[in-house]
Amino acid sequence: MSQRSLFVLSALVAAPCLAAGPDVLAFVNANCLMCHSAAVRSGDVDLEAFKDKQGFVDGRETWERVLTKLKAGEMPPPGIPRPPAAEFDAVVNWLQSEFARQDLAIQPQAGAVPVRRLNRAEYNNTIRDLLGVDLHPADNFPQDNAAFGFDNNGDALRVSPVLLDKYLDAAEHVVRTAIFGPEQMKPSMVHYASPVRIQTLPKSFDNYDLTGLSALSSFHVEHRFPVEAEYSFHLVLNGHRPNQSEPAHLGFWVDGVLVHEAYVDATDLEGQTHEFRTRITAGDHLLSASYIKQFDGLPPSYKGPNPSTRPPAPLISTRGAFSEKDLETIRKLGTTIKLDRVETRVDNRFEAIDIGGPFDQVTKPAPENLRRIFICKPASKDDMVCARTIIANFATRAFRRPATRAEVDPFLNMVTLARKQGDSFEEGIASALEAVLVAPPFLFRMEKDRPATPGHTSVPVGDYELASRLSYFLWSTMPDAELLRVAAAGQLHVPVVLNAQVRRMLKDPRSNGLVENFGGQWLQLKNVDVVKPDPERFPEFDESLRQSMRKETELFFGNIIREDRSVLDFLNADYTFMNERLARFYGIPNVAGPEFRKVDMSATTRGGGLLAQSSVLTVSSYATRTSPVLRGKWVLENILNAPPPPPPPNVPALDDTKIGASMTIKQQMEAHRGNPVCASCHAKMDPLGFGLENLNAIGEWRDVDGKFPVDSSGALPDGRAFHGPVELKKILRTTPDAFVQSLTEKMLTYALGRGIERSDRPVLTAIERKMESDDYRCSDLILGIVDSVPFQTREGKLVDKGAVRP
Amino acid sequence: MNFVTRKQMSRRTLLRGAGTAIALPLLDAMFPALSRAATPARRLSVVYVPNGIIMKDWTPAATGQGFEFTRILKPLEPFREDITIVSGLASRASLAVPGGGDHAKATGSFLSGVAPKRTVGADVHAGVTFDQIAAKHVADSTRVPSLQLSCEDPRMVGNCDTGFSCAYTNCLSWKDADTPMPPEVNPRSVFERLFGSLDPSLDPATRARRALYRKSILDLTQENTRQLEANLGASDKRKVDEYLSSIRDVEKQISDAEKDTRKIVAPIDKPSGIPFEFADYLKLMYDLQVIAMQSDLTRVTTLLVGREGSVRTYPEIAVPDPHHPLTHHRNNPDFIEKVSKVNVYHTQLFAYYLGKLKATPDGDGSLLDHSSILYGSALSDGNVHSHVNLPLLVAGNAGGHGGGRHLMAPKETPATNLFLTLMNNVGVNEDKVGDSTGRFELAA
Repeated sequence: MSQRSLFVLSALVAAPCLAAGPDVLAFVNANCLMCHSAAVRSGDVDLEAFKDKQGFVDGRETWERVLTKLKAGEMPPPGIPRPPAAEFDAVVNWLQSEFARQDLAIQPQAGAVPVRRLNRAEYNNTIRDLLGVDLHPADNFPQDNAAFGFDNNGDALRVSPVLLDKYLDAAEHVVRTAIFGPEQMKPSMVHYASPVRIQTLPKSFDNYDLTGLSALSSFHVEHRFPVEAEYSFHLVLNGHRPNQSEPAHLGFWVDGVLVHEAYVDATDLEGQTHEFRTRITAGDHLLSASYIKQFDGLPPSYKGPNPSTRPPAPLISTRGAFSEKDLETIRKLGTTIKLDRVETRVDNRFEAIDIGGPFDQVTKPAPENLRRIFICKPASKDDMVCARTIIANFATRAFRRPATRAEVDPFLNMVTLARKQGDSFEEGIASALEAVLVAPPFLFRMEKDRPATPGHTSVPVGDYELASRLSYFLWSTMPDAELLRVAAAGQLHVPVVLNAQVRRMLKDPRSNGLVENFGGQWLQLKNVDVVKPDPERFPEFDESLRQSMRKETELFFGNIIREDRSVLDFLNADYTFMNERLARFYGIPNVAGPEFRKVDMSATTRGGGLLAQSSVLTVSSYATRTSPVLRGKWVLENILNAPPPPPPPNVPALDDTKIGASMTIKQQMEAHRGNPVCASCHAKMDPLGFGLENLNAIGEWRDVDGKFPVDSSGALPDGRAFHGPVELKKILRTTPDAFVQSLTEKMLTYALGRGIERSDRPVLTAIERKMESDDYRCSDLILGIVDSVPFQTREGKLVDKGAVRP
Repeated sequence: MNFVTRKQMSRRTLLRGAGTAIALPLLDAMFPALSRAATPARRLSVVYVPNGIIMKDWTPAATGQGFEFTRILKPLEPFREDITIVSGLASRASLAVPGGGDHAKATGSFLSGVAPKRTVGADVHAGVTFDQIAAKHVADSTRVPSLQLSCEDPRMVGNCDTGFSCAYTNCLSWKDADTPMPPEVNPRSVFERLFGSLDPSLDPATRARRALYRKSILDLTQENTRQLEANLGASDKRKVDEYLSSIRDVEKQISDAEKDTRKIVAPIDKPSGIPFEFADYLKLMYDLQVIAMQSDLTRVTTLLVGREGSVRTYPEIAVPDPHHPLTHHRNNPDFIEKVSKVNVYHTQLFAYYLGKLKATPDGDGSLLDHSSILYGSALSDGNVHSHVNLPLLVAGNAGGHGGGRHLMAPKETPATNLFLTLMNNVGVNEDKVGDSTGRFELAA
């Protein structure tokens, strides 16, 4: 039912089928009260309590639930006779128009949001942009509390002495690194052990991954390098190569770029090592070790490509005593050859990597960081005029609005103090800047309390404040120079200027902040970092796959933003982004290299959209198997805007061992359908999950689960049937209302830093309508939020005493 | 030490210690106790394991002395005289909350005896936990009022347990009814909290200067913030007040440290992060607790071996399946066996902790003699989410009650009765905590 029909209906004053409030109550009496009476209260819903029209206002939330259930076809439940369609539709229409009527009377309000502390991601990004050092100090801060699904909620973000202590430490660390250069570190060693993954020879040598990066023999690890320096890498190998093979060709890659190669000539690789050093920049990097062209150069009997041209290696006798010749061979080749057999295995792999360092690290501060801070050169060690200039400039940038003289003066005292103690001018500046970084106007997004009159309590925020709201919404960081310039000129509130800034910001790479932080929590992408699929069942899941699947979804989301595509692409799209690793995993040919590129998915069995992306499919599964319930729940929550109620206590789990062996997962879950208490929710959740069963617990396509072919037929709660993920997604895209509502609500929650209130309804409705009329463009959603009353205003302080306020 | 480049070294404040160094005597029984009290201080430690325990493999058959150690308790047999098994206690507060969310209810109410409020918003509300009541009593005596540790990465975003905020499953300790205390997960951060990230080669003059700067920063900030507050609305003021009270706490820590003339040098190297193997990780957390208590940096610690609902896998003991779904075993013998193995694994590692405490001299005895350690879970049968007959044991002799017994509490005795006794054991003379109805006696 689209909102457009409302307008049609309200124009027809005396349409014969138009149900009025009392008629709806009569309908409910006849069709609903057998379960939803005060005595029975099924699903904790009592409709008997509503006796008159006012009930639709007072009990709005309950009636909203009623409408959702009716529209989704979930009520009446299966087995109960359905009322005639005309009556049913009339009731749905009436409820919608009633809600619209109520909403028209609602004035959007700013809503109450206490001052918002920077969360960890925002702190890291802000420090990076303010000082030019990307040290991620907030990764050591205590976990931010989340509310309503997001960790940028004003109410939930608290300060504790532990956190304040860390702010002091972090400020010291980042300021000193910016001014004096990175701290000299003692070299240390970090050990990473590789999971044991045994590869087998591929069925066909055509088109195998020559880089070795997607093979089970590869080893991937993400490591944070504290400072730019030289690091040593000590690789420990394992596994075997057959006699007569060409030497094994090792490759070492950093972020997908080959930085080192070596050859190891051995049949027995166990314990063989290789060490080298190379320079690495500071930050997180993906390190990969692989065997390049590992199936080339094998003995001719293996029928691989480019067989070895070496003569068969002199064998030593594998039984009895060693001959003189044997001893000579052993002396020459040592532990690189097998002593007790002829080696035929091709299971070369890695055992571990030890990373040592930093050596010869960068110790000087970066010149551009110094330039940003020291905007004047002190004429002497006690040049307080220059000190004031430096501090005022820094404080203005840090506070995201001009710092007043009264604010700057106390910081100047730090410089005086330092000089009195015999420390340098720079030391004094450093202390002063540290003080700025623990001040509330930096740590919190402070907004001035403005006067308001009764009836007009939502007061526009100032331009600088609006700039911060914008930049933290779209970029998760401080405003840039351009945005501040516009704010300084007092232009940011002008609609056409604001619009242009938003569009500029969405095209900027920093809009990745919205993808990482909003997307990371809305889609639970952040969980991709911590899932641990069972390595026995899913040996192909390694760090490289983990990062690739996360990147796919981030690029997909980022692309929707930057190209201003329809948000319905989330539901179903004929494209996605992948690198070779992911392409091989998905079974998509002709994608070579570690770079990500757009790939056409229209001819594939899995198609595109979120439900085809491994990241989503993995976070909605268990470590050892898929869960149609978890996936069904994910779809209900994030796509159909109909989150299921919590399960009752004492629910037993499935028997994993039976699944795939003696029963299909569908058969196992028959118990859900058999028991009516369970069926009420599971009849909706399970079929959605079944439709995705072709995609296993890490998102790989499968046609068979254990002994049984996958049965991916399912149905939506309203009865529409589908077969497999592509059909499911097609259907979802044709009725997108629920998804659009869910996404709009969630993004508004994220943008405002508070939960949705009743006063936000007209905002939500207006945005949804705009999107519907404009192909559901992403910019309509974002601009709709930015242009709304709650985004541009805050609650003002009433100046008129004794006035009436609802 | 290179004076020319000293400014490039990490600067630390007095908070991290001054004066002459004393190396920690881990095994030397001749060294005097490090506590500033005349008699050794008493310590409180809580170790929590999630998702319940296979009770048939936990509960000893006989009560009283001389009971036979069951499969899960077997690793603790060497400590027979130091432990008391307590059966039959109930988490009454959990039972009082209707509806689902048993995991959140378990940890959310366990140490406080107060039912948690069902909410996913910021208005979480439960009760002050008994470890924090104890911590407040010793607040002036130790540099770190208390430690909250956890071995489960709390980074998971999303709903934690049916209508309950993640705060309930992720936090064992609550400072007050509205303030859950998120635990420290990274051993490096725990280490830094105890010993600072100081460069030990900083000379005293530089250290003193840095301390002065930090205090000045705090003073300046307080003053600025007070002026700011004058112009704030009510709810903003509350947030900023929280900030100000944190500043005051930090200032107090600094001035306390100034009065403390000891400088504690860490006996282990700073951990670089979270160890890859779970056993190494948990042992490291246990080590840090021992070190912290031995050097009297703190007297109260809580440790979440895993949060309620944990889906950790234990491939190292041939249990690659996620923990929580396994505990819903539906009486399947294979699942029960696997969960039992995990329970044994946990007590094996707990035995490591007890061993370390027992081997650490403290005054006229050992650290274990002067501690009260609680081990167990707020769920008994994880399959049905039972909140009664909880698997609990007390180790240590801080209350002078001895050990070697299996005690069975009368039905429906609240677990908080035991917690009241533990609090009294460590010198906190309250007579009630949460829903307690009296003490649960551990003495013979």
